[in-house]
Amino acid sequence: MEIISENDASSVGEVSRLTEHLFRQESAKLVAVLTRVFGIDRLHFAEDVVQDTLIKALKTWPYAGIPEKPAAWLMQTAKNRALDLVRREARFREKQEIIAATLEQWPTESTHGAPVRFETEISADRLRLMFACCHPLIPQESQSALALKTLCGFSPGEIARAFLTTEVAVNKRLTRARRSLRDGGIPFEIPAGAALEERLEAVLRTLYLLFNEGHKASGGDKLIRAELCAEAVRLTASLVEHPCGDLPDAHALMALMLLNSARLDARQDAAGRILLLQAQDRSRWDATMIARGLSHLARSASGNRLSVYHLQAGIAACHCTAPDYASTDWPRILALYDSLVTLEDSPVVALNRAVAVAQVHGPAAGIGALEAIAHINRLQAYYLFHVVRAEFEADLGNPTAAAAHLRKALPLVPLEVERSLLLERLKNLRVDCPFAFNL
Amino acid sequence: MSMESPKSEYLLLFRGTGWHKNLSPEEIQEVMTRWMAWFDGLTEKGIAQTGQPLADEGKIVSGSKGQTIVDGPFAESKEAIGGYFLLKVDSPEEAVEIARQCPALDYGVTVEVRPVVECCGAAHAASVAAASASV
Repeated sequence: MEIISENDASSVGEVSRLTEHLFRQESAKLVAVLTRVFGIDRLHFAEDVVQDTLIKALKTWPYAGIPEKPAAWLMQTAKNRALDLVRREARFREKQEIIAATLEQWPTESTHGAPVRFETEISADRLRLMFACCHPLIPQESQSALALKTLCGFSPGEIARAFLTTEVAVNKRLTRARRSLRDGGIPFEIPAGAALEERLEAVLRTLYLLFNEGHKASGGDKLIRAELCAEAVRLTASLVEHPCGDLPDAHALMALMLLNSARLDARQDAAGRILLLQAQDRSRWDATMIARGLSHLARSASGNRLSVYHLQAGIAACHCTAPDYASTDWPRILALYDSLVTLEDSPVVALNRAVAVAQVHGPAAGIGALEAIAHINRLQAYYLFHVVRAEFEADLGNPTAAAAHLRKALPLVPLEVERSLLLERLKNLRVDCPFAFNL
Repeated sequence: MSMESPKSEYLLLFRGTGWHKNLSPEEIQEVMTRWMAWFDGLTEKGIAQTGQPLADEGKIVSGSKGQTIVDGPFAESKEAIGGYFLLKVDSPEEAVEIARQCPALDYGVTVEVRPVVECCGAAHAASVAAASASV
């Protein structure tokens, strides 16, 4: 912690008793458990109570010291505030008794031993909130914003930074989401039976989007993006650990996130420049995370489901298990991409497939694959489309054509570091290894 | 006998009570941690004598014989005092330098630095005058 100078070293002991992200994690828990108490239509009461609780900590802990059990202190304070609010607010009048009784049952600060039953209850509440946030009645953009706000404790400002948008836009999305929650009669429950699978799909989709937003290589605040990935992993983990989420698709998504997270740090050099797959130091990949990912991939292989998560996790697994770039199982990767393009109509997937084609069948075949997808509008505006083409041309010994394609890419590059990388490449167009942009 | 300058007391008043309203849990924890490290450090060095947070809501008493009692200050007001430190430092510059380290400045808090007058100024001046007159 660079903010504490060495003179203050003695106080580090006290401060370091707080786990990193404790407030974020506890606030997410408290919002979930209070939402059950207040009702999903009064989500903002839960959020207000939790915010007030954290502010009380902010105002008093610096003077009085960190309480012995910080999480228990937060819970106790939230409980007291909630009771105050319920007694004061006329809106709660008819439910006041029930709510107060429920709150009174919360474990108190002096409770000894871990209240296991209560913890299980909180986890279930978080899943209930997750299903509510990802309800199909709520627009997709709003789902992501709401999930980050309520499930992960992100502020509108942080969400805006993660999604490269403005705080005003985020607040609009949140308002829309809360309105849908209130007016749509969205239940606060974990769906069961036939409804579960369908609703789970929506939840997985939102978690997948959250993760991808964080995992994108370009743009935005690097720190907040890494946290976005970590939060998506945490939420998905809590889902697959619960019986309701113990399903093939969920395990596949978990595998995909872990196998990609494992390589996140190795993706950049010390100067923050993006490192291509072939340039990455594989010893920097997180072996534990890869092992976890592979174990979820194995658990995803039951039944006859083959989702986009299965296929993408399969591709990531190929990269993760290859000892070096040269020995990557490209034929298998290509086969997985062949299936993936039939399920997901994404220009980026189509482009990735072309790279795999070139690895298996040579650069000329790669160019053929690119030409087959060149009609996709969005691809022409995507700099990597031109970069990949340039690399194929260079491999075929056509430096002039390669340079022409690189020049097309230059004005489309979103990040300065990547621009300089391209300029460098343009300068010494001799390219000795094939370009793959699987990061 | 050493001739080091005597320490004097300063009050740091932290104004602005609504500055933390829009902070995320992560930011709250971060500022809280910095504030705690700051205060602990000052206390351990013997600089901070005491310090306390103030609740938002209170009363304002005014008028002859205190006939007017109103709620206040408004919690949201920029002028409301959210807390204070009592410092013992060597110079006004040192007190100001410490005030500049307040972690909440970035969020709109203002810190007022006020020297505590050592004893009653008039009485002090009178005693000095009396002492010199008796020589």
